[in-house]
Amino acid sequence: MRGFRVILDYPSGTAGAIVVVVFSLLAVFGPAIAPHGPFEVVYNTDHSVLRLSPPVANALFGTTNQGMDVFSQLLWGTRSALLVGLLSAVGSVVLGTAVGLASGYFGGWTDEVLMRLTDVAFGIPFLPFAMVVISLSKPSLGLVILLVVVFLWRIPARVIRAQVLSLRSRPFIWAARAAGASHARILARHIAPNVLPLSFLYAAIGVQTGVMLEAALSFLGFGDPNAMSWGAMLNAAFQAGAMRSAWWWVLPPGVALSLFVTAIFMITRAYEELLNPRLRAI
Amino acid sequence: MSRLAHAFSRRLLLLALTMWCILTILFALFRLLPGDPAAIFVDNNMSIEMIEHQKQLWGLNDPWWVQYIRYIANMALFRFGDSFFQNQTVAAILLEKITNTCAMIFPALVISVVLGTIIGAFAGWRRGGRLEQATVTTALILHSAPSFFVGILVLMVFSYQLRWLPPGGMTSPGGPEGFWDLITSADYLRHLILPCMVLVSREITGPVLLVRSSMLEIKGADFIDILRAKGLPEWRILVHATRNALLPLVTYIAVMTGLLLQGQVLLEIIFAWPGLGRELVTALADLDYQVAQGAVYVMALTILLLNLVADMLYGFIDPRSR
Amino acid sequence: MPLLEVENLEVRYRTQAGEAKAVDGVSFVIEPGMCLGLVGESGCGKSTVAKAILGILPPAGHIAGGAIRYAGRDLGGMTPRELRAMRWRDIALVPQSAMNALDPVYTVESQLAEAIAAHQAMPAARRRGRIAELFELVGLEPDRARDYPHQFSGGMRQRAMIAMAMVLDPGLIVADEPTTGLDVLVQDQILRRIRDLHDRLGKAMLLITHDMAVVAENSDRIVVMYAGRVMEYGGEAVFRTPYHPYTLGLCNAFPDLAYRARALISIPGTPPNLVAPPEGCRFQARCPFATARCGTPPPLIEVAPGHVVACHHVDQAERFRERAADPETWREPAR
Ligand SMILES: Nc1ncnc2c1ncn2[C@@H]1O[C@H](COP(=O)(O)OP(=O)(O)OP(=O)(O)O)[C@@H](O)[C@H]1O
Ligand code: SF4
Ligand SMILES: [Mg+2]
Repeated sequence: MRGFRVILDYPSGTAGAIVVVVFSLLAVFGPAIAPHGPFEVVYNTDHSVLRLSPPVANALFGTTNQGMDVFSQLLWGTRSALLVGLLSAVGSVVLGTAVGLASGYFGGWTDEVLMRLTDVAFGIPFLPFAMVVISLSKPSLGLVILLVVVFLWRIPARVIRAQVLSLRSRPFIWAARAAGASHARILARHIAPNVLPLSFLYAAIGVQTGVMLEAALSFLGFGDPNAMSWGAMLNAAFQAGAMRSAWWWVLPPGVALSLFVTAIFMITRAYEELLNPRLRAI
Repeated sequence: MSRLAHAFSRRLLLLALTMWCILTILFALFRLLPGDPAAIFVDNNMSIEMIEHQKQLWGLNDPWWVQYIRYIANMALFRFGDSFFQNQTVAAILLEKITNTCAMIFPALVISVVLGTIIGAFAGWRRGGRLEQATVTTALILHSAPSFFVGILVLMVFSYQLRWLPPGGMTSPGGPEGFWDLITSADYLRHLILPCMVLVSREITGPVLLVRSSMLEIKGADFIDILRAKGLPEWRILVHATRNALLPLVTYIAVMTGLLLQGQVLLEIIFAWPGLGRELVTALADLDYQVAQGAVYVMALTILLLNLVADMLYGFIDPRSR
Repeated sequence: MPLLEVENLEVRYRTQAGEAKAVDGVSFVIEPGMCLGLVGESGCGKSTVAKAILGILPPAGHIAGGAIRYAGRDLGGMTPRELRAMRWRDIALVPQSAMNALDPVYTVESQLAEAIAAHQAMPAARRRGRIAELFELVGLEPDRARDYPHQFSGGMRQRAMIAMAMVLDPGLIVADEPTTGLDVLVQDQILRRIRDLHDRLGKAMLLITHDMAVVAENSDRIVVMYAGRVMEYGGEAVFRTPYHPYTLGLCNAFPDLAYRARALISIPGTPPNLVAPPEGCRFQARCPFATARCGTPPPLIEVAPGHVVACHHVDQAERFRERAADPETWREPAR
């Protein structure tokens, strides 16, 4: 796709892309190369638990207070983070694009109802709501993804609606209508190709937000207790007061999260400049 | 003026609609809970009278639709009932916590807006310099960094390593009592510095970039040339430009307050700040649902009201929208 | 002493393609009480001259040579402080687009008051009186002064800008196409206002326009500019008995000026690239009378006292005038 090549025209975009590729590889192969399971306890040669150890040979990034390997947890955590990011991005963009298309293209009542719904969605604070929902049901990765989707669809919906509105008034749409093209055909042939780049942009932003929100929820203790994630690692480290003593436990998940989020951000910036050179000023 | 009034009533209606949706979702959520729905409102360690009071307040013996109406009415009137564990009404608890939250957010908001406007105005005015590029890049990176990790880092460095500042809380034990004494005390300021710094580092990005980009646009406007031709000193021209650049900022402040209030939950946990967000997390952990639903309700309402205020403010600031 | 002297002015813009010589060796003189008309097609550098005089060139532009003297003092040699003191008090501007010349978030009155306050101490009440007086003068209701710019129509804004230009009673008013974007009726009113100011108050004026008819009606002396250079400079004779082929072309576009009842003839082609302008006469690519000699820079020839022309073939002017009246002459050149 043309878009991907343009991202590489920007040094920051290239850097971002490299980081994202590395993390993706880690998400796929990480668990296979991880020396330990996410909740597996590491033992010394004398069969005592290797607790709160700084980086050593059999625990590259050191261990937690329960003697779990930080390096392995990080690898497993990468998989959950990216899984949540990817799925919630896809979900929210599909939903948001559908709403935006319908709203912008059909206008009238459809538009009114969908847009008021979007307005309402914009009024709901995510973290408090997600926390209540999770604590009232059983925490799981699936639920987190669902919540992020519910939270995220509203932004692409609004943006894509605006885009469709401006497309709808262009002459080639009129011409197609006059030539007797059906709604489905116009949407698919004329509108969708012009909207897709925006969808892609919001998918990238969605990955970023999804990863960030999952980390935040897990950090607050509302994550899936059976899945290791960066947020969950930070939560455990924070609860154990690792900031005082065990930097090796705090830094890896935090740095991984920051790096990943910043990398996606770099990509979206480069992509945005491609979509709209005027945005350069922003 | 009538256009403003029209816009205002429209916004108000939307606010009511949103609030109603939020309340309905809350009502449904607490009732969809597996097990006895009354458990949300009644707890085992309550006295018989309290249980009676609760049942009456929420109409627990009535059909669900009566409960629903009662629920909406109670919430709208801030009748949240009593806390299960704290010997206080939920309303009193929430009031105290939200005051504490504001004690952290407000300074951060003011600093972000004022400092961000100044930095953004200068960055836009002197475009193209190395300093400007550095400003923008730093702002963007700070913004995309996860604030709770930044908070943890700051805590590690300044509290645990350097021991310059207290690691959390709003006051030291035995600190000043009473709201005014508290927020004017040096002790409070020392506790405020770290969380405030983290909040500002994140939220300042918006004003900086927004003011900068509108400044860039305004700088090329014809009226700036005229101001210059009129022989006004540079700073007067900068004032004109900044006033124009501030227009979009006003709306953004609404967005920003919402972001602040939500991101707040994480920072309150990290810095053990006794605010609304931390109260919500504690209440959920303690299964103190009355406090929890009240906290969510108050947060949502605050965010919506702030947005409304900011939107209206925009109408007053920009003469063209009057 | 002349009020304003522009001598060999050169202005360049930095562009992606290189330095654009937007103004290249322009000279003229404005005496007190005189109205000088500056004409030329769009993009020939008229506004650039105005901006250079007012010292408001955009960041991409700079004065690369020449001098601008006001009452004998070189503006280039002034400190920023001195420059600021003389702005608007000595030279004021009625800009090309009054639409955006007023700050949208301040009232019109406060923007006029600000100009006064920047230059003289005057009690607020007298300031207001002065503004009301000027509003009267330009034909605006004084009570509208407290309005915001968006509450004014285009014509009202242009009048307000004229009032603003007058507010300090400057020695020279630069009016840069003061009627662009207005409908014909309003254009006429605005021009009449400006002529009034000139006639009644004896204001010296630099009137910029692309409309030969406007210049003919209002100006004492005329500068014809093309692609950053002066083509012809003189008094009434410039439009009564033009010498330069470009001036002939411009007059053709307004037939009732010199010759009546003839179809409008416009000059075919577009102005040259200013980054790499052609050697020799800049008009050669569009000139119907160009010869091989035109590839060298034409000399400035004084055809009559105070009337100079930059053309190799001024001796054939009589023939040019006849042929210029024939639309066939201005057909797209075959080459
Ligand atoms: N900021 C700028 N950067 C680069 N080039 C510029 C800039 N402003 C003007 N120019 C160029 O300088 C030339 C002269 O422009 P100027 O605005 O002086 O023309 P003008 O005679 O006033 O035209 P008009 O009748 O359209 O107002 C044009 O070719 C224009 O492209
Ligand atoms: S010098 Fe030559 S090209 Fe230029 S105007 Fe005169 S005749 Fe035309
Ligand atoms: Mg111009």
